[in-house]
Amino acid sequence: MPAADDSKRKAARETIDILHEISTLLNTNLDRQSLSYCVSLIENGVNPEALAKLIKELRVQNARYEAERGGEAASVA
Amino acid sequence: MSSTRDERVDNALQQLLERLVPPQQPPETPSHADQRWDEANELARDLLDREREPGVADDVNQAADLINRRLVREGDGRPERASRFGGLYSRLLAQPVLGQKWGILYFLWRVSEGQGVDGHEIDARASVDGAVRVGRGDGEQEDEDGDEHNGEEEEEAVFDEAFARNGLPRVPKVKGSGSPRHSPMHKSSLKLPPALPVPLIALLHSLAEPSLLYRSLSEFVESSEGGLVGQSLRSAIGQELRSYLGLVATLEGQIRRALAQLDDSLPHAGLGKAGVTLKRCVIWTREATLGLRLMSMVVESTKGKKGGELISLIHNLATSHGDAFVYTFAERLLASITRPFYNMLRAWIYDGELEDPYREFFVSENTDYEDSGATSVWENKYLLKDAMIPSIVTPDFAQRVYLIGKSLNFIRYGCHDSAWVESYSKEASRELKYGDTANLGQSIDEAYKTVMARLIWLMETKFALAEHLAALKKYLLLGQGDFIALLMESLASNLDRPANSQYRHTLTAQLEHAIRNSNAQFDSPDVLRRLDARMLELSHGEIGWDVFTLEYRVDSPLDVIVTPWASKQYLKIFNFLWRVKRVEFALATTWRRVQTGARGVLGAVSDKLGADWKSARLGLAGMVHLVDQLQYYILFEVIEASWSGLQKAIQNPASGTVTLDTLISAHTAYLRSITRKGLLGGAGGVDFTAQLHELLKLMLNYRDAVDGLYSFSVAEFTKRQEMSARIETRTRAGRWGLTEADDDDDDAASAGNAKSKGAGRPRKGESFNESVAPSLLPLGGGGADGERNVLEQLRQRLRSLEVDFKARVNVLLGDLAYQPDVDMRFLGVVMNFNNVYSPARKRRPKVESHKPPAA
Repeated sequence: MPAADDSKRKAARETIDILHEISTLLNTNLDRQSLSYCVSLIENGVNPEALAKLIKELRVQNARYEAERGGEAASVA
Repeated sequence: MSSTRDERVDNALQQLLERLVPPQQPPETPSHADQRWDEANELARDLLDREREPGVADDVNQAADLINRRLVREGDGRPERASRFGGLYSRLLAQPVLGQKWGILYFLWRVSEGQGVDGHEIDARASVDGAVRVGRGDGEQEDEDGDEHNGEEEEEAVFDEAFARNGLPRVPKVKGSGSPRHSPMHKSSLKLPPALPVPLIALLHSLAEPSLLYRSLSEFVESSEGGLVGQSLRSAIGQELRSYLGLVATLEGQIRRALAQLDDSLPHAGLGKAGVTLKRCVIWTREATLGLRLMSMVVESTKGKKGGELISLIHNLATSHGDAFVYTFAERLLASITRPFYNMLRAWIYDGELEDPYREFFVSENTDYEDSGATSVWENKYLLKDAMIPSIVTPDFAQRVYLIGKSLNFIRYGCHDSAWVESYSKEASRELKYGDTANLGQSIDEAYKTVMARLIWLMETKFALAEHLAALKKYLLLGQGDFIALLMESLASNLDRPANSQYRHTLTAQLEHAIRNSNAQFDSPDVLRRLDARMLELSHGEIGWDVFTLEYRVDSPLDVIVTPWASKQYLKIFNFLWRVKRVEFALATTWRRVQTGARGVLGAVSDKLGADWKSARLGLAGMVHLVDQLQYYILFEVIEASWSGLQKAIQNPASGTVTLDTLISAHTAYLRSITRKGLLGGAGGVDFTAQLHELLKLMLNYRDAVDGLYSFSVAEFTKRQEMSARIETRTRAGRWGLTEADDDDDDAASAGNAKSKGAGRPRKGESFNESVAPSLLPLGGGGADGERNVLEQLRQRLRSLEVDFKARVNVLLGDLAYQPDVDMRFLGVVMNFNNVYSPARKRRPKVESHKPPAA
């Protein structure tokens, strides 16, 4: 089976490659690793819509946090 | 399994969050960072648990489409992005490992939302543009960014939705009352308020198309002109429209539901779920629009067409259109619009009745038809209209159908056998439907065979077709020799008299006599009953021979085969044959008299008239030969040959293929070949009939002249006998046998003899008339000059007639020699087997040939 596994892994990598390319094309700002986690989540039945929402939400929060931090940093400075 | 699944999900989620949530930064306290982490975690679980199922249908193509559109739209001027995506996408599709390609693509699309292609994250609020959004019709987007909508957008969304509701039910009535925005100005135009944004107008335009089409179609459906097929086309289209209305109703239900959901939740939160937007409506109605468009095209092109043409038109659409949608649609239409057609077909092939109130069937009743016997029932009552043959049937099939119905109709009305037709229709009749080609073909074949067999059977048994044809040949084509000979003999003296002294009752009496005394008496009474003798129309100066004719009456339904035209042909042939026969008869009579006379009377005057008689006999023999050959040719080479051809055609071994039409055409061909080969038709532009008539007239004249010569010889003979008797008595009385007075006579006679080898008592010109009986009594008076004159005239007449005869025969032979028909050429050869005549080239008769005629 190692051969089969190998080919399977290869195929998975290729798929991720393609998806990554599409994702950069679409400017999703997802790195390869995150993308593969997302893929595995979706493959396991997670609602892609919700996942997308989550990611965006997190980004918004991050941005807010960054801004706060920036503000803090500024105030500290 | 599910636990491993959950584990995996958890695992992946943790990993993901780790990457997404920024790690603790120096100014931040670890507790703060933990709090952030927990918040994120909670949010993630919350979101993922809340929406287990995707709110939109999963369709990998749809997601790809969305992405593609965005790339095209946002990457303005850089189409290579879209094409690159296309390549990637197709590669992705080829990958076997992923189960949720759609989900991933959709996810990517979602994540990329709100991020310009240029890579800068754009504030969602800033990017939102109501008009553009509505134009895109991305309902989900609104739902997604629901919280961020401002008032203006909200208005747009509601407007969109209201529009969807009012715009969708495209029934004019609903529209008229429901939406003031659509004021129907014209039946094919729609006015949209100009205040709407342009993309919306474009959407509405495409939504308005089906509604306008619907309006014109429903107008068509409600109109009522056109025949049965047209009406069924209307009903079929009406049905299609009803199913369209069903679609509209479903859409409306969707909209209502969407609205109800709207009320429940936050504004716009439910709209995306329900997923009813203008754009979606356009998509949903796309197929219906295609159908409507197709229907209105069909309606346009069927204007002014009816019946078979209409079916052909739609069938053409079904067979010669590559689009499967058009094909199935046309097939569906066909199934319903051909129903009246098949009903007509059924009535026609099983009952022989034409149930076609609108003249749509490819068989139509002939309006010019007048009931004048069976022929017209067969030939003219119904017509086959080529233009009306629908293309679902082949012309051959249509021809068969036409024949079947016509035959049934004929059996019913022409042969009075409607009982059979009814029983046949009861047991054979079956439903005919479109699409059931094999069954249809089979039933047609069966019906065809049954009906034809029945018709032929009727013709042969009930109406004794063969017997009548044989009788026609026997009596009108002189097949029954003894009968004809007897008739001629008994009628000869009668017919020599002028035409106006002929009486029908004497003719019929002689006919009866001929029948009783010949083998004709054994024919069936039905045949003899039909035989009749009558006179043609009189014209001045004709004698009985010219006007006498036999007639064979054929009544319905046999006159389908023996048409009036055929009767005329029979009459023509009979008259010609009768004339030939008469000439033969006359020549034979004279020949007999001459031959018997040669041993007695003529032998006694041979010193004076021997040479004349020799040439007269030669002439006669030539004519007898010619007439014999002619008769032989017509009776045996032409009539018998054609008859056997006719028999073969009628008694075709494959009896299934014999139809009434084949009988008719075989009979027509039979008569045609007789008239053509029998020198009665104007074959090759040569009028043989006239030539033969001239020849026959010449022969009769010649025979008269020979009769005159005979009378003259007899008179001469009597004179000599008287003379010798006188000499006898005088000698006995002791006187000189010859006195001076006698010498005078004798001198004159011998002088005449020396000069012209002919003398006799003068006779008046009457001896040249048609009378056959020789005038035995010399009329006395006159002188030797008169006697010589008479003889001279006789000789001249005989000579000129003979020359004329030969010239004409030469012309005839010349014409015959260049006939394409072998039999006719052969006739020429037989007539001139020893090269007595020198056939003339066409139209250039040679003056004469001096060879002696030979028998």
